[in-house]
Amino acid sequence: MTTVRGAAEIGGGLWHWLMQDTMDGLRRRRAILGYVFLLPTLLGIFIFTAGPVFVSFGLSLFRWNIFKPPDYIELANYERLLRDARIAISFGNTLKFTVLAVATQVSIGLILALAVHRITNTAMRYYFRTTFFLPLLMSGAAVAVVMGYIFHKEFGPLNYYLGLLGVQQIPWKTSADWVMVTIVITSAWRNLGFTFILFIGGLSNISQEVLDAADVDGAQGFRRLWSVTIPLLSPQILFATVTGVIGAVQVFEEPFIMTRGGPGNASRTAVMVMYEHAFKDIEYGYGSAIAVVLFLVIMAFTATQMWMSRRWVFYQ
Amino acid sequence: MSAEKKMSRRDLLKLAGAGSAGLVMSGLPVTVIAQDAVTIKVQAHGLDDNQLLPIADIMTARHPHVSVDWVVLTGIDHEEVAAKILALVAAGESIDVGYAATEATQLFAGQGLAAPLDDRITGDPDQDFWTDYFADVHPSLVEAMMYEGSLYEPPRDFNAANMYFNTNTLAENGFDVPGPNWTKDDFVEIARGITKKDDAGNTDVFGYAWINRLWGSWMPWIFVAGGNLYTEERAPGGDWCWDGYYEGDPAVEGRGGGFRWRTPIANSDEVVEALQLVVDLWQEGVTPDIEMGSGATLTGFYATGKLGMTPAGGFWAGRLKNEGMEKGDFDVQLWPAWRNQKHQFGTGGHWLAAGAKAPEEGWEFMKIEVSREGFEASPFFYPVIITTSARRSYSQAANYESTGPANYEVFYDTLDKHPSTSPIPAPPWANPMTTIFTTGTSNAMSGAMSPQDALDQMQAELEALTARQPQYYADN
Repeated sequence: MTTVRGAAEIGGGLWHWLMQDTMDGLRRRRAILGYVFLLPTLLGIFIFTAGPVFVSFGLSLFRWNIFKPPDYIELANYERLLRDARIAISFGNTLKFTVLAVATQVSIGLILALAVHRITNTAMRYYFRTTFFLPLLMSGAAVAVVMGYIFHKEFGPLNYYLGLLGVQQIPWKTSADWVMVTIVITSAWRNLGFTFILFIGGLSNISQEVLDAADVDGAQGFRRLWSVTIPLLSPQILFATVTGVIGAVQVFEEPFIMTRGGPGNASRTAVMVMYEHAFKDIEYGYGSAIAVVLFLVIMAFTATQMWMSRRWVFYQ
Repeated sequence: MSAEKKMSRRDLLKLAGAGSAGLVMSGLPVTVIAQDAVTIKVQAHGLDDNQLLPIADIMTARHPHVSVDWVVLTGIDHEEVAAKILALVAAGESIDVGYAATEATQLFAGQGLAAPLDDRITGDPDQDFWTDYFADVHPSLVEAMMYEGSLYEPPRDFNAANMYFNTNTLAENGFDVPGPNWTKDDFVEIARGITKKDDAGNTDVFGYAWINRLWGSWMPWIFVAGGNLYTEERAPGGDWCWDGYYEGDPAVEGRGGGFRWRTPIANSDEVVEALQLVVDLWQEGVTPDIEMGSGATLTGFYATGKLGMTPAGGFWAGRLKNEGMEKGDFDVQLWPAWRNQKHQFGTGGHWLAAGAKAPEEGWEFMKIEVSREGFEASPFFYPVIITTSARRSYSQAANYESTGPANYEVFYDTLDKHPSTSPIPAPPWANPMTTIFTTGTSNAMSGAMSPQDALDQMQAELEALTARQPQYYADN
């Protein structure tokens, strides 16, 4: 009875504290309202993002094939992971892909954005914006299937036209030396639209006064680009790089559909290996261990990028 | 007037409550009917081109209370479809009747996902049905669907790896379709003879091509060279089938209760020699770069006269027909002899889920499918052959009337006339085994490794994989 009375008193006190007819009370009510609005999103994050991450951490300590009860094996999955040559190769491939793909997307996206930004004809500007952005709207799987035919060594149209120029057939998908280039081209072609539109937005936000001032100071052409435009675009470059890295580390569709990770393991990526172990080989524990390592790698990458960005990102 | 038309919130709630009560009451008779209605979930390859629809029609005609819900799963190869089924089950979805080829039969049986059918067959009051069925199906197909003595799938179809020829390409280069006793050397001569290169040295017409996968690919060469990926043993059991339905049939001699593949022999001299053969042909430009896939690209090459020979089974006839090739434009022969002429096959059928929600109805569906009525209605076997019938009666001239090939007898002769013919190796861990096999294959076929090195690595990986497996075979 005393407990109920005590709880009622606390509740009443809280209600009074919240409903106080003062500026503080108003601020509290506004804050509570804010949290109420945030609640659906927070719940979504907890259930669909943070939850699975924690479950993966837990699963990685078990051997489990879903049909039989899981066996607790402590860190055995991680020990196996360290000895697994295919894991080392796939993480190496992922790193190679990430560096090449992000560099390509950011640099070409920037070049295209600078070029289109200079176009004064509005219709042409819209045309190019739409054209460069369109591939991003396409299904990654569909792009990979079509690109797979385009890059076919013997019967693909790309080698056919290169052949007319006297270029020998290039084994785009079947040579360990070429396959990563092919995957990068395919991925970059599709994702370029994102960085492009981001840079277009950034360029539109650069104040004309700043550019005029640079002009007055004698900074023109490349000098103005390097010393004024790019520093002012640095927040967009940071965002494109961080999201690009996060996306690239998780690359799956292109290598899976175009090469199935081959030839050998030359285009097998970390997420592919995770998929193969978890879903093809029904080793959910081992697949989860790979997912955890991948999660930590992405976190480390992002943290490093954010830390390094303090030196070169300029916020207006 | 307008105020009278307005509905208050209270009125709305009242109306909603009354409406809900009405719906519940009117739904009562429906609920009673629904208790009798049964829906079975059956795996299918597609919705628009679902070849199982006629089977479902027979099922619902016989049992109007049963409806079929399709679980559509596609993949470029059997192990990919199997992975999707596993993911489906992992996600808590149920399935009553699934389809598996040899590649996934032991996988599903070994995990306890599929139910053994022995008791259902031997306890079926309609024994004439099963006597007729087994008399029509070669025992090697049945044995390939067994796991540790029990049958998990009555075979519906099979495909042996035979050699297809583009007859026009052969004729243009002065070759005839060889006879059944042709050899590996005859094959190499024909393959080289029909290969055409342009001035730049690029091959324009390839003598021979294949797909990097478990079935087909270069596996037939492993078999005829005298090798395999794993030692081939037989589990005890299966007598209920051999004694009960195949009594007196010499083809059941030495058969057991399914295969056991458990000791890797992937880098034996025979396997190295087989891989060296296909690598040599690739390096000479007789064979194009080898990719993974379902064979769709090869069909195109073949139909456009860019390819002379390829390993395929009965399913290829329908594909070539659909690509525009006419009857007579292609033909088929047994795989050439090397050290032996041991052929390989893969077979397929439906399995009943151990946790099926409607097992009796699911089993009825499976029986209809393998019945004569089911085969006659099935678009798999007529008019355009999509796969080779497991029942001998439906692998006859009439079934190949519109497509060819002229040598269609080869398909069933591979079983009937060659007792050593056996399934591709597919233990319960066939999925990771296939990844290791295709990876090792492309290591050699891309020139990244020598055949010996690629197979040494494959052997080491298979040994590690096999060692990690739980006890799938009873006497491990």
